[in-house]
Amino acid sequence: MEMIYDLFRHLIQNLAQAGILPDSLTYTFVINALLCALLIGPTLGAIGTLVVAKRMAFFSSAIGNAALTGIAIGILLGEPVASPYVSLFAFSILFAIFLNFAKNRSGMSHDTLIGVFLAASLALGSTLMLGVSKTINVHILDNFLFGSIITASSDDITLLVVAVVATIVIGIKNYNRFLLSGLNPSLASVRQVPVMKYDYIFVILIALITVASVKIVGAVLVEALLIIPAAAARNISRSLKSFVLWSVLISTTSAVVGIILPMQLELSIPTGGAIIIVATIFFIATLLLRIIRRQ
Amino acid sequence: METKITRGPIVNCANLSMTFGKSCVLDKIDFTAKPGELHCIIGPNGGGKSTFVKSLLGQLRHEGSISLEWDNQPGRIGYVPQTIEVDKTVPLTVENFISLCVQNRPAFLGISKRVKKEIDSVLERVNMLHKKKLLFSELSGGERQRVLFAQALIPSPDLLILDEPMNSIDRTGAAIFSGIIDDLKKEGVTVIWVHHDLAQVREKADVVTCINRSIIFQGVPRDVMDEKHLLEIFTAQPVQEAI
Repeated sequence: MEMIYDLFRHLIQNLAQAGILPDSLTYTFVINALLCALLIGPTLGAIGTLVVAKRMAFFSSAIGNAALTGIAIGILLGEPVASPYVSLFAFSILFAIFLNFAKNRSGMSHDTLIGVFLAASLALGSTLMLGVSKTINVHILDNFLFGSIITASSDDITLLVVAVVATIVIGIKNYNRFLLSGLNPSLASVRQVPVMKYDYIFVILIALITVASVKIVGAVLVEALLIIPAAAARNISRSLKSFVLWSVLISTTSAVVGIILPMQLELSIPTGGAIIIVATIFFIATLLLRIIRRQ
Repeated sequence: METKITRGPIVNCANLSMTFGKSCVLDKIDFTAKPGELHCIIGPNGGGKSTFVKSLLGQLRHEGSISLEWDNQPGRIGYVPQTIEVDKTVPLTVENFISLCVQNRPAFLGISKRVKKEIDSVLERVNMLHKKKLLFSELSGGERQRVLFAQALIPSPDLLILDEPMNSIDRTGAAIFSGIIDDLKKEGVTVIWVHHDLAQVREKADVVTCINRSIIFQGVPRDVMDEKHLLEIFTAQPVQEAI
């Protein structure tokens, strides 16, 4: 893996030195940031179209909150403060599976149930966080909450690459099945799609990509990058193809601009916030476009 | 003597019952549909027709037995759902929707060559080919129903189950549906159709079953669909509400 990064870094550094790319790209951490943006943007943009189509925006938001609890548990259990990944993954994925299980069994309206889970997870997370804050410098937690590209290590990037590849391979291979089981479970089932199994696979994928993106975008905002680009794309698309294409484009642009621009301007703001502000500008612009077109 | 072609299965339900919580939705239904036959299901709203269809598809837990007896290997089942909910969440064109149902390649990457001709041909059959680039939200209720019907024809079904919503089929749609179903019957397909147009049922169905929790009547339409029976359907309240 390290070799591939080095190749990528050298390529970018050479291009920056030759004046083709901005000067700041001669620094390794800026290149790391760009790499993360190019990994997260397209993946969250593409999978986000399914999250929106399956009406799971609120669900993914709950998983983002669960990540926070996972981090607190990890630190309490003595995992490295900057990368409590075992607990983070374990808790988030178990949370997603359990929430999906309860959704199938409770017979309750989904938004009510997710509301309960979301609040419970946040309560547990914040309680544990306060406990943790006595033993460590609490500012480290800011990185997890709001994202920080500068602290992303090679390991963080490797993890992200694995999650991105898994999400893209599984997501593309089963795109139709995921979507059809959201549109009409009975029809999907007649079409030989085991709906329940695919629901579980989907929520685990969401948990996986959420957790892997937490360091960069932040637990509070990661789900926004799943939802806002797809929602913006929905405003201006007239087919599934343009929906996915615009969502990927808007998400990637938001990630790249949100990460690089604050560095260029030497603004010390959290990456997650910057990315989502850019995405929101896209959303407002496409909404206006839609309103104008309709008139 | 003409030998009847049979492609579809004999669908057999014996003593089929279903309860949701404390209310009994279906009570001891006996039902048989044969290949080459159009078997229509009628009954008041809330009488359990859609539940019956879902249990036929094996999607609900039930008591009693349901069996599909195929001549040879199990064949293909086509299903026309009442509706799909797409309007607010995803911009889906007619073509997108059908390719989503019938191909493995992600629908956003376009139609795979293998099914392109077939998709165009079924859309032509339901007279929707000229609207294949339109979004679902731009179609009328009847047009949507025709698209849902079209997807059930790929691959060509051996058992076709239609769950028709109230009031959404227009005149053109009804004529198209019944033309295609006539063709399928000739090919020996078993067709089960939840229907709302009683005049059409009387004219087209080979067998009709009226369900309102339990079977109200069953048989050849001209024998069983007399005024007394029809009055029963129109005046009937869904039984489970009356409990």
